[in-house]
Amino acid sequence: MGGSASLIPRDLLGEYQELTFLSKQEILLAYKRFSELLPKEERENACSARVPKSQILTLPELRANPFQHRICHVFSTSETRDDSMSFEDFLDMLSVFSDSATSDVKSHYAFRIFDFDDDGTLDRKDLEQLVNCLTGQGEESRLSRAEMEQLIQNILEESDIDKDGTINLSEFQHVVSRSPDFASSFKIVL
Amino acid sequence: MSYYHNEAFENPDYHFSETLEIDRRGSSQRNPFSHQSPYDSSLHGSYGDHRGREQNYPVAIPMASLGPGSDYQDLPSTSPYGNFTENLSFEPEPELTYSPHSTFHLLDYPYTHGTSSGSEDSFIRRRNRRPPDEIFMTSSSMSETDPVCSEEEDLIGSLASMSTKERIKAIQKMPETMRKKREIRNKVLKEITKKANHRPSCCTQCLQGAAVSFRRFGNTLSEHFHQLRVWHKTLKIIGAEFGTSVLSYFVFLTWLLNFNIFSFLINFSFITIPQFLAAEPNNLSFTGLELFTGAGYFQRTVLYYGFYTNATISKIENGPSYNMQLAYIFTVGIYFVICFLILLFSMAKFFSRNFINPQELSVNASKLLCTWDFNITNDKAVKLKQKNLCTQIKEGLTEVNKEVLNFSAMERTIRIGVHLIAWVASLGVAVAACAGVYFLSINNLELFMKGYRNDLESQAAMLVLPVVVSLLNTLIPFFFSWLGHLEKFQTPGQHIYVTITRNIMLKMSIVGILCYYWLNIVATSESQCWETLVGQDIYHIYRLVLVDFIFCLLGSFFGEFLRRIIGTTVCLNLGLPEFDIGRNVLDLIYAQTLTWIGILFSPLLPGIQMIAFFIVFFVKKVSLMRNCQPPRKVWRTSQMMTSFIFLLFCPSFLGVLSVIGVTVWRLKPSEGCGPFRGLPSMYASVAEWIQVLENYTVSKWVVWIYHNLITSELFFFILSSFVLIVTYLYWQIIQGRKTMTKLLRQQINNAGKDKMLLLKKLRVQQRASRSSSALGGRGQQRSSSSYHPSRQPAQEVPDYLERAFDRNQNTSYNEHPFSAGISSSSDYLPGRRTGRKMRRGCFAAAGFGDSLAPGRASPPRSQAPSTADLVFLTNYKETCA
Repeated sequence: MGGSASLIPRDLLGEYQELTFLSKQEILLAYKRFSELLPKEERENACSARVPKSQILTLPELRANPFQHRICHVFSTSETRDDSMSFEDFLDMLSVFSDSATSDVKSHYAFRIFDFDDDGTLDRKDLEQLVNCLTGQGEESRLSRAEMEQLIQNILEESDIDKDGTINLSEFQHVVSRSPDFASSFKIVL
Repeated sequence: MSYYHNEAFENPDYHFSETLEIDRRGSSQRNPFSHQSPYDSSLHGSYGDHRGREQNYPVAIPMASLGPGSDYQDLPSTSPYGNFTENLSFEPEPELTYSPHSTFHLLDYPYTHGTSSGSEDSFIRRRNRRPPDEIFMTSSSMSETDPVCSEEEDLIGSLASMSTKERIKAIQKMPETMRKKREIRNKVLKEITKKANHRPSCCTQCLQGAAVSFRRFGNTLSEHFHQLRVWHKTLKIIGAEFGTSVLSYFVFLTWLLNFNIFSFLINFSFITIPQFLAAEPNNLSFTGLELFTGAGYFQRTVLYYGFYTNATISKIENGPSYNMQLAYIFTVGIYFVICFLILLFSMAKFFSRNFINPQELSVNASKLLCTWDFNITNDKAVKLKQKNLCTQIKEGLTEVNKEVLNFSAMERTIRIGVHLIAWVASLGVAVAACAGVYFLSINNLELFMKGYRNDLESQAAMLVLPVVVSLLNTLIPFFFSWLGHLEKFQTPGQHIYVTITRNIMLKMSIVGILCYYWLNIVATSESQCWETLVGQDIYHIYRLVLVDFIFCLLGSFFGEFLRRIIGTTVCLNLGLPEFDIGRNVLDLIYAQTLTWIGILFSPLLPGIQMIAFFIVFFVKKVSLMRNCQPPRKVWRTSQMMTSFIFLLFCPSFLGVLSVIGVTVWRLKPSEGCGPFRGLPSMYASVAEWIQVLENYTVSKWVVWIYHNLITSELFFFILSSFVLIVTYLYWQIIQGRKTMTKLLRQQINNAGKDKMLLLKKLRVQQRASRSSSALGGRGQQRSSSSYHPSRQPAQEVPDYLERAFDRNQNTSYNEHPFSAGISSSSDYLPGRRTGRKMRRGCFAAAGFGDSLAPGRASPPRSQAPSTADLVFLTNYKETCA
């Protein structure tokens, strides 16, 4: 712990603590894990380096997650859109998925993760992809066309309050507010 | 409420901030057809050239080295937002130069707004709570700037006026990237320092310094606590493989463990340590079997009530003394008060979080949206979870499609008969178990009274009762779950709750009969020290706790291990067992109940229970990892946790309180031992103490409190009637709010219907106009697509629509007796009246839609009403909660 602590300047660490929901230990642990993803020669300046998506996805916490690509995409601020992550992006991600993050923040990011085409609403296509992620891609676990239609219809009927055929953020948050389990299940801990 | 509305709908900034709808994007400057994603902050067109330098800023310009006013002038002054640099609050700060652009195009990306609705909402609400002139100040101070900026200014202004802690929280809550948050924070800090410069005061600085150091102290403290969490890793592994539901059992277990550590520390430090100072040597022999029976050697140790002295301990002559009687009764009393508060608050927290809207919990399909458990990271577990979800979805769909089962009268009577028989059987079993325990214990007492020999045989005989009790507690639940299978409940929820009710009934009645026995028969027996007997000996909690612990271990061995062996070798279709959360949690609650009962008779029992829980934690973990598979059903974890905490509180803790109450107030403590020997009741020690205090003038207030509050019936009468009145008032408020929620829901639905109707009309109009001007060759298919959120109609349509809705909204709000609805909620008939009102609003809107000409240009900035409603509803619900 002490070794890695010296690598993050003290006031930067304080700032991270102030801006995220993470505690000092969690930030330091995140730093350790993050620098392990980098090649040896870049480890000194892990704060400024970017880790490519393929490396990020080797983290055991994300490896099996069906939404791994979306998570990388949503939290990455890379301007080349290669979904690579800087340390701050990484912290952002952990902060949202941490225990102490509020349900509001969590649901906001969950919405973005589920919004596969990035258009600001969950439409039928998004929902279909979401259900596919939930049920897996295996042959036997796929839903038939009719089942999928029916399911999406049900979802929209229940949660699309203004009946515009899509679920927008506030409708999504409304659904989430009815499901108290959400905050405890939308969680990734290092 | 109405104030909120008025402001909301008249203030353009408000509209602006609530950019939730996709429609809005059509009206903002962005082109929705471009491939830039709305979330994506990376493509900001012309600012791309700044990106390169942002990349490695932390190294290039380490924060620490940049004092305020260092060479930031060198950094790009080519900011595209050059005009903002002249803005009053935008004086470039070191950190700002890292990201010359990002905060200023809030408008450029809808999610910023979406989010801000989360955070800003709360700001708006918060601002509403402040006195109006202050609101005026904050908003007027930035009236000059352009709207995008002013919103930002607004945000910063409201942030700056918060306390430090609130501000940090608020910034944390913003769903933004780190860079943006940092920027906002820096601006806020700047704003604050600017303000502080106006009135520098030594006092506030001192206070701030103190606050900062205090916060730092708190941080370090919480860090150290953080390091104490030894099971962090274990919990993570369990969560990764079995998901949140099984995890919740372990969280509950650690919670109880911490609870017991706390009680152990309290009892140890206030009762046991003083006793050590006054202890006499213990000359009984120690063989080892005592560990199981708790008798013999242990009888003369601090483990039991009987060993404690009734003397006043003072080591130094004429120095301060320590009254053991008072210490004993106050420690136990205060401990129970603390327990009560902890349980009450955690229960209330769970309730408010999980039962916000109980009538909607039956909704299923939308649950899918938030059903994925991100804790699960094990590859195999993910596959299994996906498969389970898939089957669940399929089952759910067939259930929806199936007709509601209509039972014939015959079938119905058979079902009711089966339920009745099952209930009679389970009640009968419980009664039989209680009777058995009762007679066994009487028998045991006689045996014990006849000849107290401290040999092996009698010690082994002592173990009969706890073994029988634990056996009953372990075996009968299996019978109950078998009954439950026979009954064929319609929903799994019913099954679980009925089984849990029966189990609770059984356990509580067994504990109840034991308590009755201890208090009525053992306490009046001629034993020289009945408290120790209860604590340790015959009907001793020590042995119950211990044997229960052993059975818990055996249960996880036989229940899960053997079940796995059978499931994998003999009877393959059984498969691996699942972890039975309900039964295991009930075991924990039972063990905790025993500990609470035992605290008075054996103060160090929490310590023993602590060790037991610690071992149980690891045994259960190993058994779980080796033998079990993840649960197939999706448990409503938090709901289950709520009911478990409730069970821990309601039969268990309250029952213990009444037992303790009877012991303290009614029973005569034994003559020969314990701190209360010679007194008519334990409580008498307090009365004696008060009499002593009456001689001192300094402590008159204690005496006054005692006489006028604690022993006076009048006070309690007034207090309870006051509590009843408050409860009734709250009840009424809740009723009013329920009505309100219903009304608002209906309104949203109606608004949605309005929207559909208008869209239909619009499409008809469009078609008509297009056929009349048949040559307009572009975008033909547009209206032919059925109503669908594809972006073309979304972009074109809402321009008129939104205006229509704005008016419609206003009319319906004007017509709608909102505020009246709350105040006179009791005799107000919501359904019919609003229905009519809404219908009228709907017609008005429709008429308006008719008069719309499709070609007219329209103001882009407005809010689709349904979203505003929804946001309002959510806010409203929050305040209700």
